[in-house]
Amino acid sequence: MEVAATSRLSRTLILACGWIGLLFLLAPLLVTFPVSVTTQRYLSMPDDGISFQHYAKLLTDVRWSQSIVTSLIIAGLTTLCATVLGTLCAIGLWRLNSRFTHYLRIMILAPLIVPPIVNALAFYRSWIDLKWLDSIGGVVVAHTIVCLPLVLITVSTSLSGFDRRIEQAARSLGASPLTVLRRIVVPNALPGIFSGAAFSFVTSWDEVVVVLFITSRQVTTLPVVIWTSLTERVDPAVAAISVVMIVATLAAVLVRLASSRS
Amino acid sequence: MTESQTSAPFLSIDRLSKNYGDLKAIDNISLDLPRGEFLTLLGPSGSGKTTLLMALAGFVTPSSGEIRLEGRNLVSLPPEKRDLGVVFQGYALFPHMTVTENVAFPLEVRGMSRAEIGKRVATALETVQLSALGERRPSQLSGGQQQRVALARALVFSPPVILLDEPLSALDRQLRADLQEELKTLHRKLGSTFINVTHDQDEALSMSTLIAVINNGRVAQCGTPAQIYESPESTFVAHFVGRSNVIDAQVLGTESDGRIRFTAGGHAIFGRPAIEQDAGAEVALSIRPEKLEVSKTSRDGANSILGTVSGCGYHGNSLQISVETSAGAIRVEAQAWRLGFTPAPGDAVYVTFPDDVPVMLRRDD
Repeated sequence: MEVAATSRLSRTLILACGWIGLLFLLAPLLVTFPVSVTTQRYLSMPDDGISFQHYAKLLTDVRWSQSIVTSLIIAGLTTLCATVLGTLCAIGLWRLNSRFTHYLRIMILAPLIVPPIVNALAFYRSWIDLKWLDSIGGVVVAHTIVCLPLVLITVSTSLSGFDRRIEQAARSLGASPLTVLRRIVVPNALPGIFSGAAFSFVTSWDEVVVVLFITSRQVTTLPVVIWTSLTERVDPAVAAISVVMIVATLAAVLVRLASSRS
Repeated sequence: MTESQTSAPFLSIDRLSKNYGDLKAIDNISLDLPRGEFLTLLGPSGSGKTTLLMALAGFVTPSSGEIRLEGRNLVSLPPEKRDLGVVFQGYALFPHMTVTENVAFPLEVRGMSRAEIGKRVATALETVQLSALGERRPSQLSGGQQQRVALARALVFSPPVILLDEPLSALDRQLRADLQEELKTLHRKLGSTFINVTHDQDEALSMSTLIAVINNGRVAQCGTPAQIYESPESTFVAHFVGRSNVIDAQVLGTESDGRIRFTAGGHAIFGRPAIEQDAGAEVALSIRPEKLEVSKTSRDGANSILGTVSGCGYHGNSLQISVETSAGAIRVEAQAWRLGFTPAPGDAVYVTFPDDVPVMLRRDD
């Protein structure tokens, strides 16, 4: 009895410590909830009542709504391009699997290793010559280059335990290389493809450094609007969009948990 | 006259070579195979037997030579156009599909109707006794069951040839013996041609109708299991199949009754003629360990070599006795219950054998 009691006590203590740590990490996020419903026009706590004007502003103010749409388009296209290219690249490297591919892999991973500011500068300089500055296409290409390594890593991980002979077996059974890709390789790489796509979307969605370099007036993404709102005006709409993103993330996680449960 | 006798050989491997840089994985192999045989490519690891099988399957492109199946050249065809069933080492089942879906795959890619696919899959699963497990995933099956699924998948589209790459190597001893029997039965029932790769000589001897012993990318000898075992042609085959004793000898001459007289380490040995050799030629003799007897006294009417016991190992069903003689070390596999005494190191014994035991060999190692 004695032993059971102390072990239960220590268990409770450890759990309490865990929750306190979690609270410490999440508390700053929670601040955004009251701030987002302030009646004032600057970042402040709601002292004299609650107002949803800043949420309305996200939809009514063209500056906000337009940037949300732009960011969705860019993140969507980037996810599509990075996932398709990254998956094909990972499958190709998996199939060749020689020393040459090892070096190729490091080269493709470079955008992930180089500091973002260096990347941004490189894109800026190249995009001037290509005349891609300040265009949605230009941002999508840049983001695809940044996100491709993420897909490459996740898909490669999925395929790392996948026996080459399974592919050969499919060929021997009469399947053309394309059929093998579609029916055998891709289904087995799906977990990696999905997580690569998710990483790509999130990365493109909140990427700000590269976008600040290669866009000006024509293309304004959400992170850029948040950035300028904070530096110029301390707009509570920033808190409102933060709350929207936190809720969306929570919803996605809950859906994911529920689907994996069932 | 049957069809196979009137036309060219069913499967013909013609001067096939595969080089990896300086390494000759397959070195100018030619082999003809009639329809319906169970051929085993037997050889040590690195002998090129798997490379040869993969060249047949289409995953290794030969450097030169041809492979013809019923007259058509396979070399230029991709694997999916060759219509050969392949059972891979480790089985290579599709992990994301059920047993039924695995077996249905080759029929689906051939665009067969759903009804026909269902019928054929059911028959194939019945053939390998897996009808009850159709909805399982490969990960939920035992090694032996996975092996059967791989087999069903390879035979469901009725290929003329089924290639097996070490199909039993991952299984435990008892299961291996059971599946050897099943493979033999299956081969008889289907009547198709099987080509099996293994390094296990027991498997080769018990399952096959033909064995090709492969060494250093070449066919060392090709024949029925009995031919390979009883009449090895080279020192490599004699030693690799059944770990025969190989001793150096010199031809002395032919006796009036046709036997050949040799001398080995000062002992006169009589043997049967195999390869024509002139008197005085240096040859090697194969002497099978289980055809020898050891005794404490010399016996008449047979070959008899005096030696000293250097070791004796108990193996349950046999005693493995090593005897040092002036003709070299000789290993004897004796049945303990028939021996009458237990040899101890240092004992002087006679190794005795009839004159149809020694087989003259070509030296190749």
